[in-house]
Amino acid sequence: MNSNAIVAENLTKRYRTRVKAEGLGAGVKALFQPNYREMDAVKGISFTVQKGEMLAFIGPNGAGKSTTIKMLTGILHPTGGAMQVLGYNPVENRRELCAHIGTVFGQRSQLWLHLPPVDSFAMLGAIYGIDDAERRRRVDVLAQRFGLGEFLHTPVRKLSLGQRIRCEIAASLLYEPDILFLDEPTIGLDVVVKQAIRELILEWNREKGMTVFLTSHDPGDVEHICRRAMVIDHGDVVLDQSVQTLKESYLNRKVITVKFFRPQALPAMDGVRMECDDTQAVLTVDTRQRPIGEVMTAVTNAGGVADITVNDPPMEEIITAIFSNREARA
Amino acid sequence: MSKARKYFVIARIHVQNAFAYRANVISGLLYYTLFIFVFFSLWQAIYQEGSVNGYTHGQVVWYLIATELVVFGCRTPIVSKINEDVKTGAMAYLLNRPVHYIAYQAAAAVGQILANLCFFGVLAVALGFLFVGPIPNFRWAGIPCMLLSGLLGVALQFSSMVAIGLTAFRLEDNSAVYLIFQKLVFMLDVFLPVEFLPVWLQGIAKALPFSYVAWGPAKLFVDFTWSLFFRIVPMQLLWFSVMTGFALLMYRSGMRNLQMNGG
Repeated sequence: MNSNAIVAENLTKRYRTRVKAEGLGAGVKALFQPNYREMDAVKGISFTVQKGEMLAFIGPNGAGKSTTIKMLTGILHPTGGAMQVLGYNPVENRRELCAHIGTVFGQRSQLWLHLPPVDSFAMLGAIYGIDDAERRRRVDVLAQRFGLGEFLHTPVRKLSLGQRIRCEIAASLLYEPDILFLDEPTIGLDVVVKQAIRELILEWNREKGMTVFLTSHDPGDVEHICRRAMVIDHGDVVLDQSVQTLKESYLNRKVITVKFFRPQALPAMDGVRMECDDTQAVLTVDTRQRPIGEVMTAVTNAGGVADITVNDPPMEEIITAIFSNREARA
Repeated sequence: MSKARKYFVIARIHVQNAFAYRANVISGLLYYTLFIFVFFSLWQAIYQEGSVNGYTHGQVVWYLIATELVVFGCRTPIVSKINEDVKTGAMAYLLNRPVHYIAYQAAAAVGQILANLCFFGVLAVALGFLFVGPIPNFRWAGIPCMLLSGLLGVALQFSSMVAIGLTAFRLEDNSAVYLIFQKLVFMLDVFLPVEFLPVWLQGIAKALPFSYVAWGPAKLFVDFTWSLFFRIVPMQLLWFSVMTGFALLMYRSGMRNLQMNGG
């Protein structure tokens, strides 16, 4: 039995875009003799994803992440290479494939904005051929797990972003896909909602063995959801390793921002870089050297804390560190 | 069976949705009533006695009621919706579902159109009886043919709107195309029966698709004859096929471009 959920071999995507030169003359000339420029969005990447695996597919903006997802889901046709998703060729068998995959694009809604989620679920149930009794049972389970009960009958356009994303993910799980493609699923959400969504995805993976293919700019998503990370840049895979290794090498810093009621001095600590500014301090903690709990205790012991937040360093910083490390090694 | 069920559910939910927006329904009904009243008064001032171009006053008012019923019945935001889906790239994301985009839009529109026809149909009949009484010499036996022609008129209007919406794949701004279509339907079809146009224009109007959206079914409604039926319905079928073919062609070439080049 094939244990691969996704196989990509030498996958390439070249876009052809029209180039408009400056000036009126060039504009008129372009009417009769248009100029085109070709751009490689994905340059022959190869990888496999096992069934039940949770992969983070990360990289800077324009790296080719979304293009790869679009090719794997059959939205875009590749220029070259071969791919198989659940044994289907997404180009030739898109209709068959789409019954087995779920997609959540954080910045695009797959729900019908003017309809309440319950109607969207009914339509999706019919579209995916789920009978009414089974659809109602699944909606009940999802509504309970995702806490959708209170807004199940409110038009989607009236929901908050967090509520909408919960509905989006629930909608993608309604037909129990074998692979869930998540493109920036937690963008713009608050910490509590992000955490709830991560737990739900993990739970679904544990219970149903669902494969997860995630792209995100939030290191927290990568750290909490995935076990393997693949970094892509300019259409090439530059790193493919376990999230544990990535964590030890790059996700080992936390940023604590503290606001005090009055100017406050903090004790120097090994593994902590401090930037103090009157009543605010930003502490960058190397968690390999000093546990975050110790730093939090030291800060609260200093007294006069008005507000405190703990964040991961931005994904861009982590990716920059990965690239710098590679260049240094090269 | 499963295919039919999915499109049936899509249509059913859109009917429910149409009933949910009460303000839209009420304002539409008021606008329809006002429109019919204004033109009823206008035609009353024009008609002193007898008939004009073969239409009595009663017939011309019922004609207007029928053409406006088709127009109001077909009021769906389909052109702007397709436009938006093409421009924002949302159409690409719909490829992820086991549903055909055009068939989905058709099912959704059928739901809305059915709901619209229910609302406006009852009002249309009430207004007709209130203003001018029953249609003179109405041919009850022709009702199935009138309904068929009405259905084809609605289908032609829908396929034309889909085709216009899909021109967004090629045109940066296709609002002018829609505006011209709307005006031509209004001038050659809704506002005046084709028989009221100059003779040289009548031939042109009867060869173009615009007249077959509402003039065809409304003419059969107020003055049914078999010869007219056999002239109008084949033209409706022809133009419906042409518009549907054009819409599918635009869709396929647009999707191919989208899948090859990201839109």
